Amino acid sequence: MSRADAAEWKLVTDLLEERFGLTFAGVRSEILESRLQPRLRAHRLDSLRAYYHFLRFHPDGESELAALGGRLTNNETYFFREPHHFELLTARLVPERRPGLEGQPLRILSAGCSSGEEAYSIVISLQNAGLELSGPAWEVDGCDLNRDRITQAREAVYDSGSLRACDEEARRRYFRELNGRYYLRERHRKGVRFFEANLRAPAGVLGWSVYDVIFCRNMLIYFGERAFAGAIDLFGRSLRPGGYLLLGHSESLLDRPTDFVPVSAAGGVVYRKRAAA
Amino acid sequence: MTPSGVTTPAERVAALLALTDEEAREAAVLAALEDEAPAVRERAIRLAARYIEPGVLGTLVADGVNAARRNSALAALECQGPYAVPHLEAMLQSSDADVVMFALQILARIGVPSAAPAVLPLIRHPGLNIAQAAIEALGRLRSREAVPELLKLLGGELWLQLAAIDALGAIGDPVAVGPLIELVPDSIVAEPAALALQRLAAPVSLEPLLRRFRIVRERPLQDALLLAVGVVLDLHPDPDPVVLAWGEELRLDPSGPVTGYLNQTLGESPADGGESDERLRAAAALVAAAGISPLLPLVMIRLGAAEAPPWAEGVVRRHPHGLRRELDRLLADPDARVRRGALLGITPASDDAGRFLPFLDDPSPEVRAAACRALASTGAPVVPSRLVALLRQGGPVEREGAVDALARLSGDALAELAPCLAPDASEEETLAALAVLGVRAHPPFEHRVLELAGSRSTPLRRAALRAAARLPGSRVEVALFRALADRNQPVQLEALELLVRRGGDRTAVTLMALLGTGDSLRYHVIRALGHLEALEAVGRLHRLYPTVPLHERLEIVASLIRIGGPELGDFLRGRLMEGEVEIRRLAARGLAELADPADAPLFRNLARDSDWGIRNEAARGLGRLGRLDVRETLLTLARDVEPVVARTARQSLDELTGSGPAGAARRTA
Repeated sequence: MSRADAAEWKLVTDLLEERFGLTFAGVRSEILESRLQPRLRAHRLDSLRAYYHFLRFHPDGESELAALGGRLTNNETYFFREPHHFELLTARLVPERRPGLEGQPLRILSAGCSSGEEAYSIVISLQNAGLELSGPAWEVDGCDLNRDRITQAREAVYDSGSLRACDEEARRRYFRELNGRYYLRERHRKGVRFFEANLRAPAGVLGWSVYDVIFCRNMLIYFGERAFAGAIDLFGRSLRPGGYLLLGHSESLLDRPTDFVPVSAAGGVVYRKRAAA
Repeated sequence: MTPSGVTTPAERVAALLALTDEEAREAAVLAALEDEAPAVRERAIRLAARYIEPGVLGTLVADGVNAARRNSALAALECQGPYAVPHLEAMLQSSDADVVMFALQILARIGVPSAAPAVLPLIRHPGLNIAQAAIEALGRLRSREAVPELLKLLGGELWLQLAAIDALGAIGDPVAVGPLIELVPDSIVAEPAALALQRLAAPVSLEPLLRRFRIVRERPLQDALLLAVGVVLDLHPDPDPVVLAWGEELRLDPSGPVTGYLNQTLGESPADGGESDERLRAAAALVAAAGISPLLPLVMIRLGAAEAPPWAEGVVRRHPHGLRRELDRLLADPDARVRRGALLGITPASDDAGRFLPFLDDPSPEVRAAACRALASTGAPVVPSRLVALLRQGGPVEREGAVDALARLSGDALAELAPCLAPDASEEETLAALAVLGVRAHPPFEHRVLELAGSRSTPLRRAALRAAARLPGSRVEVALFRALADRNQPVQLEALELLVRRGGDRTAVTLMALLGTGDSLRYHVIRALGHLEALEAVGRLHRLYPTVPLHERLEIVASLIRIGGPELGDFLRGRLMEGEVEIRRLAARGLAELADPADAPLFRNLARDSDWGIRNEAARGLGRLGRLDVRETLLTLARDVEPVVARTARQSLDELTGSGPAGAARRTA
């Protein structure tokens, strides 16, 4: 990268970090570059600096920036990705949380839910564990930065890539196939809500309520230090005492002063919010 | 010292940044170098680089008790770059072995070549760690003066030997080729030596490397030698005579290990987990250059695969002898990938048409598409009509191949496209024909192309405009101007871009007339005038500047910088007085481009600006001035708290001292 490029690069990446908390240091800079180039071509701009000016000052810049946030994060997801977390949820976390619910529903959030595969996988897992009949009521929410993804999540129609971890039996049970597209069956969509959220947004809590379990997997890898700390803080405020945070396999809170205690489970580590003193 | 009452890392960073009193700041920064929070330490390191003298940081390095503070001080010294070099050189005289080691490591990372004479004597230091660090530093500093001494170490103590081999590879002096080759294959350091030879990439090493490659049987060493051969092949001005002779020896004595190894390497797939693109490329280049017949199909498979590596075609075309010799056999191969690879890799001769024509009926569409391209290069008279037939009747793959091939033909041959442009042709056919004409002009179709530029179909209008833009004449220009008012903005922008590419006297004048409209196209028109370097637009843009919103003002400044002109310097200096930081950044950038010697005092002022972007442009501008009296300012900027600024300043310093590209160019001049 030439030195002019380095300055232009900083302009754009600082803006993305400030706005979304996303960081693109090291090898991730290639990801960013590959995703920005089509945007420059679309607007017929010839430099990152021109694109930065467009984002900051052009009348259409704000909508471009809002859409860019969603384009930059890895939307690659599928049903039952890292399945041990769903087994952990039904076998350990739900039974553990159950006595404290006192008639309230169990609340689970899929943060950075993309097109909803994770949120619906949670529902299917709870149903398969028989909790629909014998367990507590539940509410599953999903949130994402990208408006288009939220729309897709609400539609719950997928291509075969989203079902790569589902065998024939699972495809048949959970989906209705039509012209190569897979429509999630109504019973698995019931009670799932989706909303737009920027984890960089200041203060407050996330979503409609405090949660018992938050899934946020493979998204924080894009976050800079401050945004990472901010998101963890936000999750801390959005979880009930003793609630659980499940991160992706390459994300960790170890060596960080947080409200969470690492708990060894399912061959990995999950994080439990400290109970109130 | 952590500022009292401050608890969170963000607050501690803010408190550090707020300090202006020099003494208080130095104390706070030194204390923050050992803060528990990485974010605070990182900020303190950058502040220390900017505000604390290397001598003070050096005392922290010598403090062996406080490791956290020492590590931060080392990082700060590294950030200081050339500013810290004299002090680091002095640290090399320390009696504390750790201090000497650290100084060597930082000097190596800073990479200022002038430090090499101070480092060189230490390669004979009685402490092995220090000697090794000195050798490594000389490699990083690319010190050619050190080569004779390093060569003497090749027969010495193992760790020093390894470090010297690595350093010789990094320095890149071909005088090291002979001694390094001697270490291959029968020594414990054969692999590192092969790696060093790879980095040296000296043409003279090709023949001895190949000789050794033929006899080696250990896979790791085979890999290392293959990679070395691959790089040398890439960089050698004319490797084929040496490699062909080697291939002939191989053919006469095929029992050696090399054929099996290359076969295995070329056959590896990503699923094997052994895929190394560099190794694969080297193997393909060697097989193609040496014309190793039994292995050529494997190379063709790589080239003919759906997702061929980007290097494959270049590698095969660079070494044409083997493919030409085996062409008929490869074209008869039952594997479609081999046939396709051969058609893509061959440099066709005029009498090849008869050989390639049957492949237009090959069962594989990919082979048919590759045959289109090969046929186009033969120039045979029968080819255009066959290609057009494929363009009209073929599937998407062949159509794409036919478009690509037709665009390589001469203008006359394109007359065959007439049926595709006829009103009764399908839109797909017409789009394909226009795609050809968008690359290769054919004036007899002007009338029809301009008709299509007014089509109701947006894809047809865009494709027709692209084809029209290839043609000369005022009718085309009028069509492009008319398209600026198209109902579809992408078509407007396409037309604008095509007009800029065409240039022409009337374009700038017409575009200037559009500056009076307040619609969204004006933003693009301003940029277009910049790309046209339309000097006649300068006055109009100056007058427009105060009347338009910020995003258009930024475009005006950027365009005026592109255009240049005698008033540019004054205009940009005026913009530096504005309150909007982006305008000031852009103005500073333009002034750095101009590099007017009279602006040296201005750049010194800008070097103290609170905005990093402006300091960055000051660093660039000062470097472009090429005057030694700006060195002090650049040394300060080289320690800037913002790494981008520090890096720019270091590059400018390199250019001043002659070690950067501009400095080298000045020396040559």
